[in-house]
Amino acid sequence: MSALAKYRQVFLTGIQTSLVYRWNFAIRATFSLLHLVYIFILWGAAYAGQTEIGGFPLAATLTYFVVLLILQFFLSAANDDYEISEEIRNGLINQFLTKPINYFAYRLSLYFSARIVTGVLSLLPFLCILPFIGPKLALPAGDHLALYAVAVPALLMSAFIQFTIAYCFGMLTFWFLEIQSFIILSLAVEAVLGGQIFPLDLMPPWLYQLSSWLPYYYQMYFPTALLTGRITDLSVALQGLAIQAAWAVALFLLARFLWTRGLRRHTAVGG
Amino acid sequence: MSALLRHLRIWLASIRYSLVRAMMFRGDFIMWALVELFWMSVNVLLVGIIYDHTESIAGWSKYEMLLLVGTTLLVQRLLMAFFWSNLFELGRNVRSGTFDFFLAQPGWPLFMVSTRKFDLDGLVNVPVALAIVVYSAHRLNLDPSAAQIVVYAALVVCGLVLHYATLLAIISLVFWLQSAKGIEGGYFGLTEFSRLPREALRGVAQVVFVFALPVVVVSNVPARLLIHGFEPGMLAWMVGATVFWLAVAIAVFNAGLRRYSSASS
Repeated sequence: MSALAKYRQVFLTGIQTSLVYRWNFAIRATFSLLHLVYIFILWGAAYAGQTEIGGFPLAATLTYFVVLLILQFFLSAANDDYEISEEIRNGLINQFLTKPINYFAYRLSLYFSARIVTGVLSLLPFLCILPFIGPKLALPAGDHLALYAVAVPALLMSAFIQFTIAYCFGMLTFWFLEIQSFIILSLAVEAVLGGQIFPLDLMPPWLYQLSSWLPYYYQMYFPTALLTGRITDLSVALQGLAIQAAWAVALFLLARFLWTRGLRRHTAVGG
Repeated sequence: MSALLRHLRIWLASIRYSLVRAMMFRGDFIMWALVELFWMSVNVLLVGIIYDHTESIAGWSKYEMLLLVGTTLLVQRLLMAFFWSNLFELGRNVRSGTFDFFLAQPGWPLFMVSTRKFDLDGLVNVPVALAIVVYSAHRLNLDPSAAQIVVYAALVVCGLVLHYATLLAIISLVFWLQSAKGIEGGYFGLTEFSRLPREALRGVAQVVFVFALPVVVVSNVPARLLIHGFEPGMLAWMVGATVFWLAVAIAVFNAGLRRYSSASS
């Protein structure tokens, strides 16, 4: 079996496994609409009496949050860190040590399968409410094609960074019995520095500059900003893409390092 | 009465056990306390960022909004301390069959499910939430009377019961679904509205989140008590909503309990 075929099978099995929980994903996506309602009310009230905040009209800010929420379903490594942690703790990774399967590639295949299922299912409730929220949204005006083209690799690398960070947190199980608190802390940092709580460009300029050098910026904010017109300068977009690529490589190397060092501490028990 | 006392003794024993356990895993306890502190800071930061760009939200000034957010955080920290872990695990236990263990215990099932764990890390952040409320009140030059403070405390307890009821009703859906994965998101989705001023909601949103569901009233009534003084109608509304929604949540749980048929092999 060729290397690609192996991971294709993992991907297909992952799709089937994820589909078992389709109702849960659909419910989660529906609940996320509540978050969207909250966003619309909060920012609608904040914009009352003024046409722009941070140089953007209300429609641009609402579009930013809608796109970000949809991308979260397609990209966010929601459960991978927990699952990797469980597989290490329960000794399930032992089977990968004796087989010609790369654990990183195996988990990455499962990540992509789960994201496709959750992403597509999340679109259903969004499509249902589109006639109501559509008139309140606005995509970037003018010629934005070059920036959309940059957004494609940015989205792929964003997915890779999302997964690799989750993978690295999962690897911590080799050293710590309980990693849930690390994960939640990371989620909180990601929520702020990834632009989920507010668009990062609303922060003071020095803080925004600082955040653009961190990996969290490239997890969600960067592709969303490209798609929704918060980044309009092509040179800034290309510079961002280069920093994002550097982070993707650095995190991949870190993941490999943690796996190699972690295995040295690992003891496989059982028959 | 003796049954009530017996259950209270069980709760105290569970709290004692949880405290001993927290002290055994001190590193974990500190980490979780930091996680909660960080999340609280995120909420305060959002208020700061928005008010950097605007003067008011639905007529609420920056420190009035901070007082509202502080009140919400206060209620949520209490929920995290006393009930969150218990109800969160209910979802997993029903699926795995571990829920049988609670049914076999000598106590009311809902009580046993809700009180087994106590999270000290949630409680240590209560003073931080209180500090946000006190600081906001100070910046607003508020001087609440003793009666106002006592009623505020009572409303916070009502808020805790309302949050508990909301979470219980949502998690109890696990009796009908295959897994609890993601359904706790419904709780977080709903409680976000408690950080909004009531005046910001209009039309259908007002009907749903102010009048039909208790998610706005839960924080707005205590915050308004400190800012605007006593409003009897509001107080009656809060108490009535608390009693009603607790009854609904218990009914959903009991209906789920009747459906439960164990999951172990």
